[in-house]
Amino acid sequence: MSEEIIELEEEEYTSQLTAPVFKRIVGLLKPHWRWVVGFLLTIALVSAQDSLFTYINKSIIDEGIVKRDMDVIWRLATLYGGLVILQSGLVFTFIYLAGVLGERVQYDLRKMLFNHLQDLSLSYYSQNAVGRLMARVTSDTGRVSDLVTWGMLDVTWAVMNIASATFFMLLINWRLGLIVLAAIPILVFIAIKFRKKILVEFRESRRANSKITGAYNENIAGVRVVKALGREDENLEEFQGLTSNMYRASYRAAWLSALFLPTVQIISAIALGTIIWYGGIQAQVGLMTIGGIHAFVSYLTFMMWPVQDLARVYAEMQHSIASAERIFRLVDTPPEVRNRPGAVAAETLLGEIEFDHVNFYYEDRKPVLTDFSLKVKPGETIALVGPTGGGKSTIVNLLCRFYEPQQGVIRINGRDYTEYTLESIHSRVGIVLQTPHLFSGTVRENIRYGRLDASEEDILEAAKIAGAHDFIIMLEKGYDQNVGEGGNLLSVGQKQLISLARAVLSRPELFIMDEATSSVDTLTEALIQRGMEALMKGRTSFVIAHRLSTIRRADRILVIEAGHIKEQGTHAELLRQRGHYYRLYTQQFRHELETVYGFAEAVGADEKEEASQTLAAD
Amino acid sequence: MATLTGQSTYFDFRTALHKNRLRGLWRMMTGFRLPYLGAVATLAISATAKTATYLLLRYFVDNVMTETNADTGIGSTLVYIALGFVGLALFEGGFAFVSGRLAAYTAEGITRRLRNFLFDHIQRLSFSYHSTTPTGDLIERCTSDVDALRRFFSEQAIGVGRIILLFVINFIALLQLNAKLAWVSVIVIPFILLVSLWFFKKVTQRYEKYQEQEAILSTTLQENLTGVRVVKAFAQQEYEKAKFEKDNWEKFLRGRLLLIMHSLFWPLSDIVLGFQMLGGFVFASMMAINGEITPGTYVAYVGLVVWLIWPIRNLGRLIVQTSTGLVSYARLMEIAKQVREPLTDGVVQPMGPVRGELVFEDVSFMYSDGESDVLKNVSFRVEPGQAVALLGSTGSGKTSLINLLPRFHEYTGGRILLDGVELRDYSREYLRKQIGIVEQEPFLFSRSIRENITYGVGRDVPEDEIVRAAKAAAIHEVILSFPDGYNTLVGEKGVTLSGGQKQRVTIARTLLKNPRILILDDSTSSIDLETEAEIREALNRLMKDRTTFIIAHRIQSVMIADLILVLDKGEVVQMGTHEELVTQEEGMYRRIYDIQTRIDEELETEIARVD
Repeated sequence: MSEEIIELEEEEYTSQLTAPVFKRIVGLLKPHWRWVVGFLLTIALVSAQDSLFTYINKSIIDEGIVKRDMDVIWRLATLYGGLVILQSGLVFTFIYLAGVLGERVQYDLRKMLFNHLQDLSLSYYSQNAVGRLMARVTSDTGRVSDLVTWGMLDVTWAVMNIASATFFMLLINWRLGLIVLAAIPILVFIAIKFRKKILVEFRESRRANSKITGAYNENIAGVRVVKALGREDENLEEFQGLTSNMYRASYRAAWLSALFLPTVQIISAIALGTIIWYGGIQAQVGLMTIGGIHAFVSYLTFMMWPVQDLARVYAEMQHSIASAERIFRLVDTPPEVRNRPGAVAAETLLGEIEFDHVNFYYEDRKPVLTDFSLKVKPGETIALVGPTGGGKSTIVNLLCRFYEPQQGVIRINGRDYTEYTLESIHSRVGIVLQTPHLFSGTVRENIRYGRLDASEEDILEAAKIAGAHDFIIMLEKGYDQNVGEGGNLLSVGQKQLISLARAVLSRPELFIMDEATSSVDTLTEALIQRGMEALMKGRTSFVIAHRLSTIRRADRILVIEAGHIKEQGTHAELLRQRGHYYRLYTQQFRHELETVYGFAEAVGADEKEEASQTLAAD
Repeated sequence: MATLTGQSTYFDFRTALHKNRLRGLWRMMTGFRLPYLGAVATLAISATAKTATYLLLRYFVDNVMTETNADTGIGSTLVYIALGFVGLALFEGGFAFVSGRLAAYTAEGITRRLRNFLFDHIQRLSFSYHSTTPTGDLIERCTSDVDALRRFFSEQAIGVGRIILLFVINFIALLQLNAKLAWVSVIVIPFILLVSLWFFKKVTQRYEKYQEQEAILSTTLQENLTGVRVVKAFAQQEYEKAKFEKDNWEKFLRGRLLLIMHSLFWPLSDIVLGFQMLGGFVFASMMAINGEITPGTYVAYVGLVVWLIWPIRNLGRLIVQTSTGLVSYARLMEIAKQVREPLTDGVVQPMGPVRGELVFEDVSFMYSDGESDVLKNVSFRVEPGQAVALLGSTGSGKTSLINLLPRFHEYTGGRILLDGVELRDYSREYLRKQIGIVEQEPFLFSRSIRENITYGVGRDVPEDEIVRAAKAAAIHEVILSFPDGYNTLVGEKGVTLSGGQKQRVTIARTLLKNPRILILDDSTSSIDLETEAEIREALNRLMKDRTTFIIAHRIQSVMIADLILVLDKGEVVQMGTHEELVTQEEGMYRRIYDIQTRIDEELETEIARVD
């Protein structure tokens, strides 16, 4: 699922603040409480000062201009100037404190989440799409950090703004002040109503937008089909339906927003009209001054901003709280596979490995392995073959203790392997995956991943053993070549060679390989085979095998189907049985040879002759 | 708003091409200029109403507040003034709403037809364009750049207009109140404008740096999450934590830098603007005390000057942002200026389907940017209903030859005759209706399986016909095994089909389309035994009575062909039936045939060895 869709989906969730969540959010701020107090205090002062500026202006009018006293004006101007300087200092402080704190909280949250994710078991990953986990670490942390900084700041500012304006208005003329006060709840109510309506349309338009992006994507990626089938006109018609939906939703969202501010303004104008009328009457009896009228007009104008803002902040807060809940839920998830109390470090994995009546199912509870038993001698090479979904990968996952069996025991050296620490098992396992996973960075960094303290010589040696050295030095920058995101600057075969070298470097005692199904060129294939052979020497190995040479080389072949061992034995034994294995093998044989002989490439036949000899020599 | 109905949803943006980007943007507004100007005009009315509010306030202060005579007339004047405020607010708000609505109408309208145009234009661009342009880049332009243009019309252009209008109208009002005062009040404006332009430019650059780091962090995270098995297998959790920590901290540092810039700019400009305001107040109050202006004028001034000074900082921000709109315009027009592939340019228009007789006479082909011929003097003849197998290494010209048939590319030499008529004389549209293509790993759309089967068939297909086609393509049973049968969605939100299953869906579709000429990419590299037989059967049904071109990867499909073409470096090096070619001892074909025999032999030896 694309990240865009995940984000859309999660935005639909809003949450109300509950005491436990609130407590935990406050807990996040505990180490930085001075910063929080700092920015809350400064923003409150800034907002109070804004009201004070208006009040000073009122005094300039009433005490200075009306009474024609220039001295008062100079005094007030000096005060005003001083306050401007003071305020800019306060503005600096709150932007700096809240902003930097926001970045800091985000940093803290991301660190916390990432570190916890490292400890979670594979089962968690299989239940939660990568896109979703990404959203947790990226957008959710952003939203929470915004909540505890800018969100809190906005609320404080809005409340202080309204409170201080109200205070001054009541001070100037309490009757008129009460009129304004009465208008505030109406304004807030309308603002929230509007916000909700706009949000609905806005979401609709985002949904339409993601559909539009999808349509572009498909039509461009599948342009060959579109052209071949001459479907251009129909496609345009369909697409116009999508853009019209988008148009309707975003146009509505836009004009609703355009309606919002005027509505609020008109209500406040009614309040203003009332004040003018009532104030005018009061002025006749000296209860209202010119400065007072000015102040009321100003306060009313500037109170509009927080009112509009409150609605936005309220909506955002609800989302942020939902984000916080999701973050806490992740952090609270305990790793399923973890060290048992009193676990000891395994001294070696080079012992007998035994699956003893193992039952296993994934989260969907469909049994994958039932009553599965297997004994493997140290140093033995086991090839697992059989159809997809038969349970081959599960056997390997259990062996690595990425998962643990629900029933039955897996023993290493005669001891239940859950009595060992995870680290001691993992550090002795070497894995090469079907689709090799590399990290951005150089070739060297990727090989070193197998053992971080390896010396330069170790790395070179590992690369040589794995058969990767020759192609690496042919790269433009050799070992310093950047492999690109996920290694995508290299070919599949090259990635496999590097992941082999990585496994070699880690000096595993148990080697696990999931062979790639996709074909690589003959030379690379031969190199991979040689590298594997080197790795398997003196180690217990499990290979999910797709290549004939690998299968033939195994000490024992297990044909796995529907969670059971259908057949087992050596290559020769199994062929003689003329059963599952025989069928699989002959089919694979034809396919492989056709590829090897390069049926499609047969034109340049010289190279092929050579390749066929390599295989025949096997 | 009568204009709101019947808005055009399609516009040819090729007419909006212009070297000057601003003029290009103006051309893009064709059909929307009037509403857009309307938006600006109503905005001006709204701003004027706001200004008038302060002038009314002045009247109120000077004529009501300072007149202390409590005669009876005052009461009704007060009511009028109070209603005046409400009336002006209605004016201001009403026109602001109309303006916002017109601006949205324009921006969303232009965006809609821009999206439609791009979609259509891109699907009609030539094959060579698509093969050289990365999908991601096109999509990026169609989404981000279109959105940047939308924001240009809906926020930036109108926002700049709003601030300038506010400034001009309020400044005129101030000039009316008192010219001297007006000029004194705007001394720092040019300075602040320049500084804010500079600042927002800088901040935009810094922000990009911050975003870059965010992207790096995301990559680190994603690689970690997708590679969780590797991380665990090598027990490198601590290393991963350290790596993430490094990127995360760097992002914190860059964020802090950005914040420091903001925390300096805003208060410093606050000081400058604050003192500008203060200076104005002092100056104005001196004038008021000297009797040069009335107290009412002073009150109006204090209200008006706010709208003159504070928005200027935002003007700087908006102007900097408009540059992204200009860049996006240029990026989109790069697509618009590409030449489309004409679909209906043929001179013959046969009523019925073709028979399927194809003659190649000395055909050569070279890519427009190529240096040498990809195909050289290819000549052969196919009777209707015959099967031709193309054999040759990658780059031998097989695919290029096939691409000439639906006129994906145009041959550059010789002639191709279809039913005796030169291929170029048929329109692409007609030709493509006559040709069906089944690729080895076909592209399916994320719609239901039913819709994928009927995709591009060009008519309403009754249910039983769909099922019949699916059965003939040996995919019916598979479809029924899915939760929603024929309504099951393909792709992300539905089922993932294997390569072979996709191929069979395409076979079903092609059966419905019922073309006279068939192009078959025959590779079954990742298909297991049972399905292979099924696909072969389905393919045989499909090939029946159609002129078929097979890009052969397998020996069986070559052996059944009526004509085999062996290609090498764009030339036909051998041609004939299997029986003919197999006797040519020295030929390529013989060597291929030998491979087949050898595979059988090797298998036998292998089995014999263990037995």
